[in-house]
Amino acid sequence: MPSVIPNAPGSLHSVASSAVLAEQADVSWRPSRHARRLLTLAAAGLLAATIVRRPEFVGLAAPALLLLGAARPARPPRVGVRVGVTATRLYEEELAAVDVAIADDQFDARWVLQAGRGIEPASATAVSGAAARFTFTVPRWGRRQVGTVALVLHDRWRLIEGRVSFKLPAVDCYPQPALQRTRVVLSRLPNRLGEHSARVPGEGTEFTGVREYVPGDRQRAINWPASTRRGRLQVNTFAAERSQDVVLLVDATSDVGEPGTSALDLGLRGAAGAARAYLDARDRVGVIMYQWGGAQWLAPSLGRRQVYKIIDAMLAADAGWARGAVFSRLPRAALPPGALVVAFSPLIDQRFVEALRDMRERGFSLIVVDVLNTEPPTRYSYADVVARRIWRMEQQAIRFSLRELGVPLVRWDGEAPLDLPLAPYTRRPLVVRR
Amino acid sequence: MSEPTVPEGGAAAAAGDRAAAAAGDRGAAAAGDGETQPNGAAGLAPAPANSAAAAAAAPRLAAVLLGVACVAWTATPLLHTGWGGTALVVSIIAVTSGALRLALSEVPQPEDEYFLSAPVRAWLAFLAALRALPWEEIGVVALIWLEVQHPSRPLHTAALGAGLVAYVLAVHIGESGAATPELFRREWKVLVAGACLLALGAGLAMLPAAGPSAGSALLRVLAAVAVVAAAVLVVPT
Repeated sequence: MPSVIPNAPGSLHSVASSAVLAEQADVSWRPSRHARRLLTLAAAGLLAATIVRRPEFVGLAAPALLLLGAARPARPPRVGVRVGVTATRLYEEELAAVDVAIADDQFDARWVLQAGRGIEPASATAVSGAAARFTFTVPRWGRRQVGTVALVLHDRWRLIEGRVSFKLPAVDCYPQPALQRTRVVLSRLPNRLGEHSARVPGEGTEFTGVREYVPGDRQRAINWPASTRRGRLQVNTFAAERSQDVVLLVDATSDVGEPGTSALDLGLRGAAGAARAYLDARDRVGVIMYQWGGAQWLAPSLGRRQVYKIIDAMLAADAGWARGAVFSRLPRAALPPGALVVAFSPLIDQRFVEALRDMRERGFSLIVVDVLNTEPPTRYSYADVVARRIWRMEQQAIRFSLRELGVPLVRWDGEAPLDLPLAPYTRRPLVVRR
Repeated sequence: MSEPTVPEGGAAAAAGDRAAAAAGDRGAAAAGDGETQPNGAAGLAPAPANSAAAAAAAPRLAAVLLGVACVAWTATPLLHTGWGGTALVVSIIAVTSGALRLALSEVPQPEDEYFLSAPVRAWLAFLAALRALPWEEIGVVALIWLEVQHPSRPLHTAALGAGLVAYVLAVHIGESGAATPELFRREWKVLVAGACLLALGAGLAMLPAAGPSAGSALLRVLAAVAVVAAAVLVVPT
């Protein structure tokens, strides 16, 4: 199997791929079906002629023998092939492509893509030609094997065929970020420069009021109309602009619902969308993944790269699954004091709910996005109906208890933008209560 | 590395068709008219679907008709002695199965073969049997065997030889999608030489033997083989 090498500039057929398999690949040659049929016809005719001693059967075998003898195909043991994938990291439903090309043009080449599990071909999966492109999408997040590409070579007479097979590299599929344009902003922000208007005066751009001039104020801040009216110098005051720490808390303990729209799917998409929205506002964003094996976390940080770090952390957390682990208190490094915590959870695991209560009692400002969008299956026996009602009541009790603690709880179905359920909390700053 | 489960990418093409349907116009032009898409055809106007389907079906229909013609040609007059009946039945089964294999070559194999119903499993087993056995080779051998059962009739045998070669070529074109004009342009010299040898073999069989012994018949066979071998050695490539 050829190894993965970086894509060389000026590559064959200008294949723009991030990772390219380019090697002299070994070809295994064998007679084609057509050749086997001709051989059978010739052999049967000659055998019949010899056994029954009738020369007309030799004539019967002659055309097949001539067709076989006319072809003198070359069988190179190796051929130069390039196979590349345009992207090894992509979002759900994003189009990617596998580019394939063969350097040798003396053979008729046929490429067949055998897509791996979780890979949805978006074009023809069998193409003839010296170069080809197969497009595909990944419907659901996770690490996916793209599959294999088989190359079948035929000579001009189609009497021999050679086969080469390439295993394609795996791709990391990121959850499609939910749409979020507005942000929840805390009423009390840390003393750090940012883009959110704080309640304290500062050097921002948002006007907050007028006060009397004191020595040291900048001359450009003087409000001349107000100074004329009052007879004393007045200056404009502005709100300070601060940033906040945001910690996204994703509950990976309960993945319930249909694959593709399960609670974990919604949680990851919502967290990815929130990470992007807060990082766009220059906030520091981190993530904590709650799962059976405990909690994995990424400390809050700034920058565009942090989005990918957060998503990578979420995908890596999905792989760790260990039964029997218990939750402990969240690590302090992952939770800066005064941070806004946005939790995405179906609120099914009681330990996660207890962790939320614990965080609220420690004074963190929490918002819980409820991503539960399924219920136990409906049956018609009385016991099942009662069990379902009890389950619903338990769920209502969990949500009621969180609201009683002052934890805002919104429900998100995964279809609408996240702005919609969060609207009551994005219109004005979220009051921090200790 | 496992090979494709469907010959010549039938399942792969069907998967491509499904994906094209799901993706709307994203890949329909590439996948809609079968699995074979020549490189560089993107800039050309796509052929109408009906004509493309007819072009794909014509060689397969020709193969079926040639197979039926070969069976009928060889079977007459009907033989009721020896292995003639058996050879006829085998050839009919082989030609029919070969036709079915060609017709069903693009039926996809499901990816997950778990928890299938009995009829679906039976259908899949039937498809697997169709695709596993070399029906055309079996048919050719059975037809030659049936022809051997008949008394010597050189012209009849020569016509059968021409029919069998045409049958094999039609099956090849039908399953590979090779361009027929290009194929014949490339191999017409060989085919003409083969037809000449076919006629030569028939003529040689019609010549009276030098003597009544078995050795003279064998010598005629050897002479024909030598002529064919010489032709193969000098045939233009």
